[in-house]
Amino acid sequence: MHPVARLVGRNLTISLNPGFLIWQVIFPLIYVFVAGFAYTSLIDVVPFGGRQLDYPAYLATGMIAFNIMNSTLVTGIIIWNDRRHGMFEQIMSGPFTRAHYILGNVITQGIVGLASAALIAVLGVAVYHGQAEFGLYTVPLIVFAAVSGSILFGSTASIISTRLRSSEGFNVIINTVFLFFAFVSTAFYPAEGAPEPLATAFYLNPLTYLVDVVRAGMFGDGPAGFVLVEMAVLVCLAAGLFAVAIKMLTRLDF
Amino acid sequence: MLSIEARSLSKSYKGKAAVDGIDLSVGAGAVFGFLGPNGAGKSTTIKMLTTLVRPDAGSLAVLGIDAVASPLEVRRRIGVVLQQHSYEPTLTVQQSLEKYGMMWDLPRAERAERAAALLDDFDLADIRGKRNDDLSIGQRRRVQVAREFMHDMDLLFLDEPTVGLDPAARRILLDRLRARARAGLTIFYTTHVLTEAEYLCDEIAIINRGRIVAVGSPDDLKARFGVERTVRIGVSSVGDAAAERLRAIGGCTVGDGTVTVRSPESGGAQLARALEVLAAAGARIESLSAVPTNLEEAFLRVVGESNAPRR
Repeated sequence: MHPVARLVGRNLTISLNPGFLIWQVIFPLIYVFVAGFAYTSLIDVVPFGGRQLDYPAYLATGMIAFNIMNSTLVTGIIIWNDRRHGMFEQIMSGPFTRAHYILGNVITQGIVGLASAALIAVLGVAVYHGQAEFGLYTVPLIVFAAVSGSILFGSTASIISTRLRSSEGFNVIINTVFLFFAFVSTAFYPAEGAPEPLATAFYLNPLTYLVDVVRAGMFGDGPAGFVLVEMAVLVCLAAGLFAVAIKMLTRLDF
Repeated sequence: MLSIEARSLSKSYKGKAAVDGIDLSVGAGAVFGFLGPNGAGKSTTIKMLTTLVRPDAGSLAVLGIDAVASPLEVRRRIGVVLQQHSYEPTLTVQQSLEKYGMMWDLPRAERAERAAALLDDFDLADIRGKRNDDLSIGQRRRVQVAREFMHDMDLLFLDEPTVGLDPAARRILLDRLRARARAGLTIFYTTHVLTEAEYLCDEIAIINRGRIVAVGSPDDLKARFGVERTVRIGVSSVGDAAAERLRAIGGCTVGDGTVTVRSPESGGAQLARALEVLAAAGARIESLSAVPTNLEEAFLRVVGESNAPRR
């Protein structure tokens, strides 16, 4: 088996514990099936791309992107744990190179991101069916979102994990950053109607672009107009942050 | 055939030499002890030998492979037990062994077989289902050492592997290592417990301030650097007054029926004075034996001399 495949196998084994599965499956389902319906008393319909969506359908599609972002926390946690518990040095003294280690983490985050997106997409059908318009571009756009989102947010988590040693520091920073990404975005509510500074802030957040791409795939707009710009921004940001993460991982000292 | 051959190996951090042009030759099948005080350059040397850190200068061949040019090739054939703990907190002891076997590309059946044997061999069977996070320091250390034997290797680096182990576990580990060495494994071993080095090692190098200051077998080092000659005198009885006078002699201790005299290499004045006191007190000497110098004394002398200002 190729060294990268062995590292991916190891990463998946150590990550797929009950805590992570609750985080990745139960929490989003609570958002989709509890919060989504509970908030319908406050939010009846949400405007999106010239049509009106039920709030549960709007939220469920937002949760696909949200879950892709959340899943990439796994990469940061793996790197941070490996450094804290001596496994980074142990792996590097074994039959692996740094390139193997980095690729192993990238592929792990890609797999977890895709699986998370697929999971919510499948379970969310109950909520958005009837409103969704699947086309030829639906699956490619979701895969695009999963891959670009995994690399973008995974790189962000990796960068944070290479800079912080203490568990308190790591938890505080990573949760703050991801909380900002989650709630200053259009994953939960539309930018239209929000106060102007907040609506602007939504579009300084890559999760908003990710959410827009997923919704474009799910509600039939496809990759056109502003979504194309958002996809380009996601690719550029993912590439830039990935380059920085690689550089920082390569420089990690023993 | 040499397992390690280092020539003029150097490494500096921020302009300060951590390792300063050392030469090392470790024969195949030997247990090589690498000793030195804290901050002497042991860890940096091991990191270079295990290819974790690239040397600034010098040449390094490990198992006949140029370790600077082909580090991955070296790493495929060595085992490393680091000084710091290394473990995956969410895995159980058995999973740790099996997953480590997977990382070394062992077939599934062989992984299970080896893990089962190592669980028994390292007395870990009772805690096989315990998570690494819940283990004591000593148990974690045993798992870490056992895990390294999941894969085949030609050379094993052990950086203070007995830290945190109780005496029984330590002895079990040393015996296991001895058995592996007899079977042909080359072991590079660092420790601060010099009795371990004496028990296990065929050859020892002492490093201080980034330089190798002595190399030899344990017996050779003791013979060359034994600081003191110690004589134990068995006596019938020693009165309080005589005991007081004996204790006033430098290097003299009085126990139950024994008087131990440690004399500097340069002379036996202490021993002569102790005998005088015993004769004056009318004590009957029942036995007289020389206590051989131990490795710790030799080590302390080597390090002490190398710390002395150079002229």
